[in-house]
Order: sequence, then structure tokens, then C-alpha cells
Amino acid sequence: MSDSSKLRLGEFEAQVKDGAVDLINRIETGDFAGAIKVIQDLSEARHNNFYNEVGYLTRSLHDAIRDFKVDSVDQIVGQVEGASKITDATDRLNYVIDMTNSAANTTMDMVDSSVPVASQLQDQARDLRKDWGRLIQRDLTPAEFRELYKRIDVFLQTTDESATTLHANLNAILLEQGYQDLTGQVITRVTELIRDVEEKLVHLVAVAGRVDSISGMEHESEDAEIDDTKGHGPAINSDNNPEVLNSQDEVDDLLSSLGF
Amino acid sequence: MKILIVDDFSTMRRIIKNLLRDLGFTNTVEADDGTTALPILQTGTIDFLVTDWNMPGMTGIELLRSVRADEKLKTIPVLMVTAEAKRDQIIAAAQAGVNGYVVKPFTAVALKEKIEKIFERIDAGK
Repeated sequence: MSDSSKLRLGEFEAQVKDGAVDLINRIETGDFAGAIKVIQDLSEARHNNFYNEVGYLTRSLHDAIRDFKVDSVDQIVGQVEGASKITDATDRLNYVIDMTNSAANTTMDMVDSSVPVASQLQDQARDLRKDWGRLIQRDLTPAEFRELYKRIDVFLQTTDESATTLHANLNAILLEQGYQDLTGQVITRVTELIRDVEEKLVHLVAVAGRVDSISGMEHESEDAEIDDTKGHGPAINSDNNPEVLNSQDEVDDLLSSLGF
Repeated sequence: MKILIVDDFSTMRRIIKNLLRDLGFTNTVEADDGTTALPILQTGTIDFLVTDWNMPGMTGIELLRSVRADEKLKTIPVLMVTAEAKRDQIIAAAQAGVNGYVVKPFTAVALKEKIEKIFERIDAGK
């Protein structure tokens, strides 16, 4: 809570205390018109205090959202003019989804095109090795030897070409990982926005709580129950949660304890 | 052996498809949630179901329950591959009749092991 709002609430509490003393004095002396005037003043002060606080928080929240900006990505995806920053944050997160999706697909494309190259090399090498073994055993006819001689030349050429292809594919996979930098920056900024908004909301709740305590309002709190059926997504900080299992081994242990 | 892979993320479907292909299962079909998976299952051509839990529309656990409640489909082996790792959820999946449970992120070895175990059990039960 900011110092200025603490000061305002302090003033308000002092006003309530002073008003209470004044009110009792007036009632005891029979000045009922004066007493009602005190009650009215207190009620007005309560409203003013609350509305000032809400106004202050609204401005802070608006400022925080307006200040939200991701410079590094602006250069890539272009500046969004006029759009709400929350909408903008949503767009940026969608950009993260697109980037990660594209990187995953490109990487898998590269893997898909590398697997047959590696398999072909393996097959050729195994074939050659068989005949090479026969050569070592001096088990080859001169005609077979001449044929092996040519095949080795072809194999060396294929190996060179395959290595070039694999090299290029591995490099492409490496380059694709650049998404981590860009998406990391976007997520960091969005996280900052959320933290900022949360801070302001906590402030609002704290002020609302104090206003409640002064005005005597009570609210029923509801415990939000999250439905397991809908799923929770990946567990973050699972080390701190005894209800979340940390590894496949723990899952297997649990299932075997259930008779699986 | 025809395998249905259900996951809302196409990259995850592709990873599972590639791993299954390495294990020798080349005949696969895909669906992006339970709602699109059920009609494919009901054609009666699917021998094995691999499903995620957390999906829009119909979730994996709902799909599992629907499969087990369907007289024609209830014997299909179901392997869950999911990021959901709460104790209660795993117990719920077990009670709903799941045949295997793999938590994401997973390894090729873990997937292979669970699939083999499921087939061993099926063969032993015959």
C-alpha cells in the first residue's frame, strides 16, 4: 500500500475516532441534531475515502497497463497502435504459441529428413562391412574385389554428401532454437505486467478490506474448487505440492500400489 | 494394428506418431480432442487409443469413461500421455480403467515400456 493511501486511511480512522467521541458527547448533552450531523459527516468521509482510493487505484492500474510495452518484439512483429495493452499481451502470447509451434515443426521436419539419410548410411556401411570382412579373410574373387573397390568409392561419396545434409539439418535445428530467446523476452514482459497488475489488485483488496472493517461490511468467502476432470496443465513447482507426483517412477509406484 | 492419437497440440501428436513409427506402429490416425475422437473410435477400426488429458471440448478422462461405457469400445486398450500428475487424477484414471499412464515430458523409452507392458497383459489375458 502506498504511503499516501496509508496516510489517507490514517486520517479517516482518526476522523472516525474523533467523530465517535463528539457523537457521544452530543448525545449525552441532548444535541441530537448535532449528533445526526456527525453521523452524516462520518458517512460522507467514509464514501469520499473509498472513492478516492478506488480512483487512485484505477489510475495506478491504468498507468501500469498503459506502460506495458515489449520493445524487442515490437521490432519483429511491428508496433501495435491504439490496441488495449491486455489485448496486446494476448497477441504476444499467441505469438509465443506460433513461434514455438513453428520451431517444433521445423525441427521435426529436419529430423524427418535426417532419419532416412542416417538409415541409408547405416545400411550401406553394414553391406560394405560384410564384404570388407570377406576381403580381410582373403575370401573375395578378383571380380568381387573390383566391384567392392567401386562400391567403396560410391560409399565415400555418399558419406560426404550425407554428412553435408546432416550438417545442414543440424544447423537448421540449432537455429530454430532461437525462438527461446524471443519467446522468453515476450513471456518475461507479460509476467511483469501480470505481477504489476496483481500488486495493484492486492492493494485494492487490502484497501477494500480496511474499508470493510471500518464500515462493518462482511463478505462470505468462497473456496474455489478446481475440477480435476478439466485438467490443470503441467505442474509448476511440483516439489512443493505433495498432491503432485514428480516423475514417471512415482506414477508407476502409485499405479502398482493400486494393483496395476 | 491401428492406433488413434488424441492430443490438442499437433506437435505432440507428431512426436507420438514418430515414436510409434519407430516402435513399428505405422498405422496411426489423429484427433484433436475427445469430441472428434469418439466418431473415429465408433467406426470400429481402432485397436489402440493414446490420449492426452487436458483438451478443449471433451477431455481425455471423459473420453476414457465414454469408451469404457460403450459396449463396442470398452475393451480397447487406452494409454494416457499427459502433463496431469496429481495423485487424485491418476487414481481417477486408474478407476476409469486406463491401461497405462505416461506423464509429460516423457522419454521414448517410457512410452515403449508402457506400450509393451499393455500388450504383454493383453496377450497374457487371452
